[in-house]
Amino acid sequence: MAESRGEMMRIWRKGAAAAAMLLMGNVHAADFVAEQVTIGKLPPANPARMYVSDVAISHIVDGRMHIVDGETLKYQGVVGTGFTGLATLSPDRSEIYVATTYLSRLNRGERTDTLDIYDSTTLNLKEEIIIPPKHAQALPYKGVIAVTGDGRFVVVQNATPASSLAVIDRKASKYVTEIPTPGCWSILMAQTSQRRFTTVCGDGTLLTITLDEQGMPADQQRSERLFDPDKNPVFTQTENEGDEYLFLGFYGDILSANLGGAKAVIGDSWSLLDEKDRKEGWRPGGYQPFAWHPASKRLYVAVHPAGVEGSHKNPAAEVWAFDTQSRKRVARVPGENTVALAVSREDKPRLFGIDPLTAGLLRYETVPTLKFVQRQDGFGEAPILIEMH
Amino acid sequence: MRWFDDFIERKTREVAQLTSRRSAMLKVGRLLVGAGMLLPILPFDRQPQAAPGGHGGEAATAGHGGHGGGGLGDPNDDTTCEYWRYCALDGFLCTCCGGSISECPGGTEVSKVTWIGTCQNPNDGKAYLISYNDCCGITACGRCMCNYNIGERPAYRMGVHNDVNWCMGNKANSYHCTVAVALGIAEAREPTA
Repeated sequence: MAESRGEMMRIWRKGAAAAAMLLMGNVHAADFVAEQVTIGKLPPANPARMYVSDVAISHIVDGRMHIVDGETLKYQGVVGTGFTGLATLSPDRSEIYVATTYLSRLNRGERTDTLDIYDSTTLNLKEEIIIPPKHAQALPYKGVIAVTGDGRFVVVQNATPASSLAVIDRKASKYVTEIPTPGCWSILMAQTSQRRFTTVCGDGTLLTITLDEQGMPADQQRSERLFDPDKNPVFTQTENEGDEYLFLGFYGDILSANLGGAKAVIGDSWSLLDEKDRKEGWRPGGYQPFAWHPASKRLYVAVHPAGVEGSHKNPAAEVWAFDTQSRKRVARVPGENTVALAVSREDKPRLFGIDPLTAGLLRYETVPTLKFVQRQDGFGEAPILIEMH
Repeated sequence: MRWFDDFIERKTREVAQLTSRRSAMLKVGRLLVGAGMLLPILPFDRQPQAAPGGHGGEAATAGHGGHGGGGLGDPNDDTTCEYWRYCALDGFLCTCCGGSISECPGGTEVSKVTWIGTCQNPNDGKAYLISYNDCCGITACGRCMCNYNIGERPAYRMGVHNDVNWCMGNKANSYHCTVAVALGIAEAREPTA
């Protein structure tokens, strides 16, 4: 069989060559240099490169992460993220981590969960680490996978639906342990400690976990109450500068906590809304509803008017910019239906958004003032999260 | 499942405690419908006719991801996103996928764990406790994508969270579609005290 297949291939190739000669017609060989297929190289990442997670819900076993140059909104590549993949980058941005599920028969069969590691400069798969089949099959909210500041440990949110965290040693390429975190969700890394992170609990407190050098939990301490989950719930997404974390309340409050110590310390809070805003029912909304650029003291929030119970994921009618020092609104611009905001880490930051109605990416300039400048539609199917390079 | 039963009981009590607040919210929702305004736009709705600039609740909800049609759906038609039981449903309607409001389509299995909504039935004005069971084990349905979030909360309140795959507790855990089963009348359990 092998021999006859080889023979068939030879005949096919000869035929193809003859067909090509015919098609070329009277083109002189000297005029034409045949092209060769090669693997393209991604342009070097700039601070505006975006990693956009897409749950691809209509074929949810086949999720994606789109890599897009934010300067031009040009598509640069894709990483397959499997079934409800949760993705983030290493602190040095050289690697992409995807915690995901693969079923052995696509939609059925044995479940295997992995932490897939991709090279962010080539998008090649470097490695996979098998993890227990418990990773949260959840929408990819910011904070459901996180990496210690030194890049050593990757921490992944589990749900069975009981909540726990999986700790993976990136350096040793091995799964370390599971830490039960009942009633709590998401992973907020401390920045001054390389072995500490905090999770947000359903009673409104923050649970801080400190690891030992092997990645085993060495200490757990619960904070005072940050928020009242019944009266003033907070969104899952957070923003931070170092250990100073900001939380966004459903009804327009900014809450804060310092997550550097063994026990989180609750900071002060303020409202984004003035009396008129409140009367008009403005509220934040979306899946990644705010972005903070600490160097320029600017906070950007996706908001909609006439907010009601259940409108907390609504696309934005406007994007508001705040000065975090004066706590005053400094700009309001069209929201372009965005459900996500992310700001590039550079001197003249750019703000990006996602319009889920068109799977569109949005670009705003922030200097000298916030301004919507570009939209490009058709980035996959259900993009909902942006991580900047 | 015992865990599930306990959860439902606890949830029911919580709902009872919250009933007055929820009733106020539901009134707001009813006023909006009555005023001809549209309920929240679907985050995954990709129909291009949505109002440009999207003023939140005013943007069109026409043609929810696969079943066509325009305008606000009928709260008594269980194949539209606006069917009253779908007030906290995020997923594909099983009524569009070969199942019914309480039946998973053939070839699937019922999720062992669920999330809960409290939705008002416009026909009797009562608030019902709704269990959103996912139907699991076969490829995603892809029809009638809906996303409403009344009473929905982030995953630190897992029992009322709809952004996870509730097939996660099943061995066959691929997600197909979602049903909306009425478990009880919320007001009926309100403490008399």
